[in-house]
Parts: sequence; structure tokens; C-alpha cells
Amino acid sequence: MINARNITLDLGGRRVLDGLSFFVERGESVALVGPNGSGKTSVLRCLLGLVPYRGEARIDGYDCAREPIAARARVGYLPQRPCFGDATAEEALRFVAHLRRVEPGRVPEALREVGLECHARDRARTFSGGMQQRLSLAAALLADPKVLLLDEPTASLDRDGQADFLRIASALRRGGRTLLLSSHRAEEIAQLTDRVLELDGGSAGPARPMAPLILLRPGRAAP
Amino acid sequence: MRIRETALVAAREVRQAVRSRWFVLSAASFLVLSLGLSLLGLAGAQRSGLAGFDRTTAGLLNLALLFVPLVTLSLGGLGLAGELEDGSLAVLLAQPVTRTEVYMGKYLGLLGAVASSIFTGFGLAGLAVGALAGGGNAIAFVQLVGLAVLLAAATLAVGTLLSAALGSRAKAVGGAFVAWLALVYGSDLGTIGLATARALTPGQVFALALLNPVEQARVLGTLALTSRPEVLGVVGIFGQDLLGTNGLSLLLAAALIISAAGALGCGWALFRKAVVP
Repeated sequence: MINARNITLDLGGRRVLDGLSFFVERGESVALVGPNGSGKTSVLRCLLGLVPYRGEARIDGYDCAREPIAARARVGYLPQRPCFGDATAEEALRFVAHLRRVEPGRVPEALREVGLECHARDRARTFSGGMQQRLSLAAALLADPKVLLLDEPTASLDRDGQADFLRIASALRRGGRTLLLSSHRAEEIAQLTDRVLELDGGSAGPARPMAPLILLRPGRAAP
Repeated sequence: MRIRETALVAAREVRQAVRSRWFVLSAASFLVLSLGLSLLGLAGAQRSGLAGFDRTTAGLLNLALLFVPLVTLSLGGLGLAGELEDGSLAVLLAQPVTRTEVYMGKYLGLLGAVASSIFTGFGLAGLAVGALAGGGNAIAFVQLVGLAVLLAAATLAVGTLLSAALGSRAKAVGGAFVAWLALVYGSDLGTIGLATARALTPGQVFALALLNPVEQARVLGTLALTSRPEVLGVVGIFGQDLLGTNGLSLLLAAALIISAAGALGCGWALFRKAVVP
């Protein structure tokens, strides 16, 4: 479902990803782990076309650089810091619904699913971190995407918020979606993922080439 | 570029602009100043015998030349940079929409919001003048409204270019202010300085003026009101001698459109390769 080959990314004169290759099967749930600066978030940004990279990344067969619309139509994205500008919760979801050609009538149901139906007309920027993350999840799931990319989704949440999020995300995992999750949290990784891909050497200097992907748990290796 | 997706992004931008305090404050100030200048112009017209629309148009032209670049440069500057900084651009670009659609949608949405503010301000001023005095050249007044929108399109494109080039809210606002000073004041002073120091010919001064959208709009707006040489200045007189009134008007309108398209194209070239955090 996700196939990355030889991805190389340079940002600000620094090599962040160096020839990275990996494969995530349909329905599989995989965690990207590694120290700060190892390039976890950058992998997700490459898949979304937010940064110019070399190499080839495909989602459901679509090239993320050459066919970005088709690739992104198959992806729901949950950023670390969700932001919806000045929009209300309902407006934010309606906008996503229009862009993804989803029936706008689905918006109230999506808000209900994440427990925000009473806050539909409130500005998203007034929400707590947990509420913003739930709204972001509703936006990511609105078009029922095949793939979910989650970037440290509980990093800014308190304990209750984390528990809430893990409950919802566990249900998603059981629903057969493909999940690629960047995370530091052992509990989140254990509960949500089948396999861990460790990125090492994001800060490697020229004398120490970036190590290839290491499989920490049994799973399918990159082809 | 798909029209539907671009229109969706533009509509979102209009909603955001209408909720922005800076835009609301600017639009309200523009409305108050337009009405104030018109009413003051009418009071003066009764003493001097000038017709209502002529005097109002002259006053509002100066207001547009100062105010429209100030608002559009800062709005354009904040447009991309603000969303880059707060992370909402990453959320937007994660949707099935291209960078070109986002870039053009944001530009057109902001232009729509500014144009509405111009129509409201000048429209109410026009109604007030029409009701209280009438007379004079109402067509020049309508041309002034069109000219203000064209100037807004050019300076908003410059603001958008600054936003794409500088990438942070603080830098973009600073850049917008410097650009405003340069376009509204610096250009005139620089041209005078250059003309004096390097003994520029009128043709060279005319060519320099064609690089500045505010100067293009100033001469174009003045031509709509009068063709008297003492009002047009060296650029207008030279252009009028060279091309005639209609030819000069066409050239200046084309220069404004080219300024807008050029700045917009440069901004797009930067934005399509930009790293989105």
C-alpha cells in the first residue's frame, strides 16, 4: 500500500533522509520510531508531497510526486499540531468534504463520531489540544481513506486525551486501514502497530552514512 | 488547475479575511476615509464651483494610491506566510489539491475580499456624491473604482510574492511595509534623485515609472480625470506626447496587468518548490 524507494531528502543544507526504502502492506499498521531529528515526520511529509525529495514514493500505486492528487485522495493525515485557521469545527469539515467530494451531510455524523457535535459552531482555535486532535481525526477520516498517516498524534495531549485518542485509533486499526504512525510513546506503539521501523542516523555526519531501516519486531522487510 | 478546487480555496480565504481584525479594520477605515473625503470634497466644491464627481474622484485617487497598496501588501504578505507558520497550510496541502490551486485560490480569495471593500467604500462615496451634488464626470469615478481594483491586483501579487519568498509572518509584514514605502514614496524620491544625479532623459524616467504599479495607477487615474500637462507630471507628459492619451492609458493598464502577472508568477515559482513545515 505504501512503497518508498531510495528516498533522499535534504533540508537546510542537512541530509535528513538518505536513500530510505520501506514497504507497508495493505491493512498493516506500522510505527516509525527514532530519536528527534531522525526524519520520522519528514517521511510523512515526503508521502504528502510537502517537501521536495529524490527517489520514489507510492501510495496505493500512485506516485506521490507525479500523481499527488490521486495519492493524497487515498490518505487521511493527522498532524502533530492540527490547525484550521479561523474556521468553526463544522466549516473545517465542510471544506474538507467539498475538496474530497464527500456528501456534506456526512459532516454532523463525523463530528458526532469524535464527540464534537455540541461544538460544531465553535471556532476550532478555541478548542483544547484533545478536541483539536479529535477534529483533525474527523477530518482525516471524513472520506474514509485507505491510508492514515499519523504524526505523533498524542504528543500534545494530556493523559485523558491520549486514552481517548488511543481508544478511537484502536477501532480504526481493527477496521482494516493501513496506518503509518510516527511516535515516541511506547504505549501508543504497542497498542496501535504491528511492526516498528526504526530510523537511525538522521543527524549522521558525512563520515557515518545513515543506517538502513532496521526491523525491531518480526514483520515484512522492505523488498 | 481545476476551477472548482481553486474556487473552494478562494471562498475559504474570503471567510478568513472577513474574520481577520486587520482586514475589518482596514475596510472600515477605507469606508470612513472614502466618505469623509467625498463629503469634504463636496463642501469645497460648493465654494470653488467644481463639479461633485470630479473633485471626489481626485480626492479618492490619492486615497487609493496610499491605502490600497498598504492593505494589499500586508494582506498578501500574511497570506501564505501566516498559514505556513501556524501549520494550516500543511493540513490544506495534505488534501487532494495542487499547490497551484492553493496559491491561486488564496490570491483570488484575497483579491475578492479587497475588491468588495473597495466597491463598498467607493460605492457609498459615489452614492453620497450623486445624491448630494451630482454633476461632473461620473465615468471617471467608475474608472477610478476599476483602477483601484487593478492596483489592488498588482500590489496584492507583490505581497503574495513577498510571502512566498520570506516564509515567516514577521518577515513578510516587515517586507510588506518596506515595499509599501518603496512603491509609494521611495520610487518617486529615487527617480528624482537618479534624474538629478545621472541626468536621466524623460524617456528613461518614463521607463522607470513603468516598473512601479503605484506610479502606473497614479498617471492612469490622472488621465481619466484630466489631460492637462501641469497635472500629469513628466511621466504623463512624455507618455502622452509619445503615445497619445488613449495609447498611454492602454500602455499603463497593460503595465499594471503585467506587474500583477509577473509578481504572481515569481511567487508561484517559489511556492511550488517551497518546503512546508
